[in-house]
Amino acid sequence: MSDTAFDYYARRKHDHEHDDHAPAAGEAEGPPSEYEIMSRAMQELLEAKGVVTAEEIRRRMETFEEEFPYRGSLVIARAWTDPAFRQRLLKDGKAACAEMGVELEATRLIAVENTPDVHNVIVCTLCSCYPRELLGMPPTWYKSDNYRARVVREPRSVLKEFGTVLPDNVTVRVHDSNADMRYVVVPMRPQGTKGWSEDRLAEILTRDTLVGVTVPRVPAKG
Amino acid sequence: MLNCAGCESPGESNMSDRPHNKGPHDLGGAAAGPIDTTDHGMKFWEKQANALRSTLGLKKIVRVDELRRAAEDLGDRYYQLAYFERTTMALRTLLIEKGLITEAELKARMTEVRGRFDAK
Amino acid sequence: MPSRRTRARNALPSTYTPAPGHRFDVGDQVMIKRAYPPGHRRTPYYIRGKEGVIERICGAFPNPEELAYGFDGEPAKVLYRVRFQQKHVWPDYAGPARDVIEMEIFEHWLVPASGRAKPATPTQSG
Repeated sequence: MSDTAFDYYARRKHDHEHDDHAPAAGEAEGPPSEYEIMSRAMQELLEAKGVVTAEEIRRRMETFEEEFPYRGSLVIARAWTDPAFRQRLLKDGKAACAEMGVELEATRLIAVENTPDVHNVIVCTLCSCYPRELLGMPPTWYKSDNYRARVVREPRSVLKEFGTVLPDNVTVRVHDSNADMRYVVVPMRPQGTKGWSEDRLAEILTRDTLVGVTVPRVPAKG
Repeated sequence: MLNCAGCESPGESNMSDRPHNKGPHDLGGAAAGPIDTTDHGMKFWEKQANALRSTLGLKKIVRVDELRRAAEDLGDRYYQLAYFERTTMALRTLLIEKGLITEAELKARMTEVRGRFDAK
Repeated sequence: MPSRRTRARNALPSTYTPAPGHRFDVGDQVMIKRAYPPGHRRTPYYIRGKEGVIERICGAFPNPEELAYGFDGEPAKVLYRVRFQQKHVWPDYAGPARDVIEMEIFEHWLVPASGRAKPATPTQSG
């Protein structure tokens, strides 16, 4: 079972048309909550005071929507095909991303590799720290209180909820992203992907595999 | 009773019975239920709120550390709010704290925004 | 000085901002202070008082405990990654003994693990 159904960005890639203050066409979102009203009011006040402009906000939304979510898969796909790049990525994540034109702004990145002996999984128990510039916005489950509470204490149970079962001879290595570093998992490259292009490899490097709750799967033929 | 560092039963009501100054956000290891593993994405206003926060951060008007602190200071209310509700409240706290907006201005603008939605 | 086996097993050297005067080295056994001050802290409650090993030195960063209140967080504090055995963190940990958890801890939250003295004068290596 593919997890693209759970990958918000896999669905939304070509959705472009927004104006600054109106919901996108087709988004049935219901009446606004007090918090939506509060957020819009704050934004409008700051625009009126010249602290930010509507254009800046729009451009930033676009960057988060159109650019950030797609970078991680491409970087990790490169690591799968280029062993020297992989080593540079593991040594200094931010510099390696910069080689590919992926500028991570302030984020320091630590890439952690899955091996036959070690499986990595990422969380921020204190809030929702996440390499947003590499992976886009975190999924709702990553920000949920239940994930934050449980994955540090019972990671194997949590992974099972995502359909990932690890034998006892594999070390589960949890990373609580609680200060200045950000993390991305380099999954193991599955069998059946020999000769694949980086683009094709990137398609199976879904966001969930880069956080470590699932592993990449070769789609069944037919 | 005075609230004191390390005391087990602080007098402040927003600390409830949380021991030793543990913030509401400090969730690692807490008892919790099953995880909804579906990514429900973000509504338009949430994406816009995120872009606002991010833009303010890039301009160094508000630091992420300050926003985290303001969310943590929500006390028990933290548990009643969804993610973007927490972040909206945190930004509200910071903008008022820094004198960028006033409570009165915000209230007035919210009434106006609310009116626009009602009119649709 | 960590043993060669420890160095090989432990992670990569610091790759970010230099941390002159860092007090701990990769492989050092450390304990997270058993302290519960109010205010903004990036040391999770569940790890306080626990013992682990320095996995890497991340560099020096402005102190988030100060940044949170509008100060500049200077002087920067050395940040380490510390690795813990899960069975040492949770008395009821259900997984195998090999499982670990790692996180970033600022130097002022660290003391040498029980019984191990550490010189007060910081070393000068980066």
